[in-house]
Amino acid sequence: MRHRITILLWIFLMPGLAAAAPNARLLLPDFSALSKKASESVTITLDPNLLAMAARFLDSKDPEEAQTIEVIKGLQGIYIRSFTFDSDGAYRASDIEAIRTQLAAPGWNRLVETRSRKTHANVDIYIMVDKSQAVGLAVIASEPRQFTIVNIVGAIDLDKLHKLEGQLGVPKLDIDTSKAEPTPRAAPAPKAP
Amino acid sequence: MKKDLESELREALRPVAPSADFTRRLIAQMEAKSAPAAAPPRARPLARPLWWVSGLAASLLIALGVQQHVRAQRELANGLEARRQVLQALHMTSQKLDLAYEAVKHQSSSLLDSESGA
Amino acid sequence: MALALRSINLNDSSLDYLDQQLDRARAGQSSAIAVLIRAHQRSVYSLALRMLGAREPAEDLAQDVFMQMSDHLKQIESNQHLVFWLRKVTTHKAIDQLRHRARIEWTALDENQAISDPTEHRDPLLQRHLGALLQNLTPDARAVVLLRYQEDLDPTDIARTLDMPINTVKSHLKRSLESLRERLEEVLP
Repeated sequence: MRHRITILLWIFLMPGLAAAAPNARLLLPDFSALSKKASESVTITLDPNLLAMAARFLDSKDPEEAQTIEVIKGLQGIYIRSFTFDSDGAYRASDIEAIRTQLAAPGWNRLVETRSRKTHANVDIYIMVDKSQAVGLAVIASEPRQFTIVNIVGAIDLDKLHKLEGQLGVPKLDIDTSKAEPTPRAAPAPKAP
Repeated sequence: MKKDLESELREALRPVAPSADFTRRLIAQMEAKSAPAAAPPRARPLARPLWWVSGLAASLLIALGVQQHVRAQRELANGLEARRQVLQALHMTSQKLDLAYEAVKHQSSSLLDSESGA
Repeated sequence: MALALRSINLNDSSLDYLDQQLDRARAGQSSAIAVLIRAHQRSVYSLALRMLGAREPAEDLAQDVFMQMSDHLKQIESNQHLVFWLRKVTTHKAIDQLRHRARIEWTALDENQAISDPTEHRDPLLQRHLGALLQNLTPDARAVVLLRYQEDLDPTDIARTLDMPINTVKSHLKRSLESLRERLEEVLP
């Protein structure tokens, strides 16, 4: 029971995630063709300036937003591309292959690879480690009618992110964070492809 | 009861916004007020040939003021949009992590079931 | 997480930002003055509205306060000082106005002039009654209640803002809460 939680905890609670390494930023392909086919598309590109600007417009008196401020304080960027389609199979696996290729580069480690037969939802979680510290996070989530790529660059403060549990929908892990092991033993595919 | 009344008061007394054009009217009022003060007191005969310079300078100042006002409004709009995007980004990220967590949880319990069955 | 846009918030980085804007405003930049006004207008206007009980005089008073602010920028040291200054000037001006009014029809507030934000209500009826009952308090007591529950100030800061002894602040708070509770029980048995 415990080891499965450790995987996610390691992502969240990895010590440090200190200085941002520039190569933790993925080069996201131009998805304009997919965007035209999608019924809903989300493109979020938040560079350090925009993150700093957003922090100024979050309410430190609001407990939830105060925690969000803390979480984004150390980040260098958040980049998200998400597309939802009206029918199955509207996108091809090759559409996201360019991302996987980048995630095969040294530095990136695949921590979690989940394949659900029931929902056909596949989620891969990668972290980039630089000098024993994680400096980036990437998530590729693909479902029959949706795929989402998340790339977070910079110092995610683990304890602070942990405090967002339940508020942003981050799963309630219910675990002693100080005992988190940095070895993702439960990860079905510990190595990048 | 005391606690309830106090929290109801806090709810009832959340700050509310003035009318949408409040700031614009106020700034216009401030500019109108400061405009005569900025103008030269009274044209002396010697200064007369320089009136056009003052006029030009005043026009430039007004243009600059308008530009700065527009910039401030843009800054505000950008800030609010950045805030919205951050909240959306964190929400989406957590949703996907949740998806992975659920899958791992399901897989782990299946393993445990098969182990205990064996 | 609430995605609703609120007023510009005053977290640490906002305060730095607003301090910078204050410097620019002192140098006469109208864009910076506009930023300061936007950052503080909800607080100033809400204080004025709840003190005076109607939108129009509240906007007039808020305008008056900000006009005075632009004349006094050189004496204002920081954004924190500005917040204190705005609360102080707003409440004092409102109390002065109320003292000069012969009689005020507090119950004349109609729904369009509701002094609380209807989208935020947990119990709209209770909230509306509270807003109206607040108008029955004396100007001093109302200012104390507003600074306590709208602006979240503690009694010491309220005393500083209103130039009032702290014991007077505490007694206003105690009596106002008792009075509000009694009146609420009458209207919402």
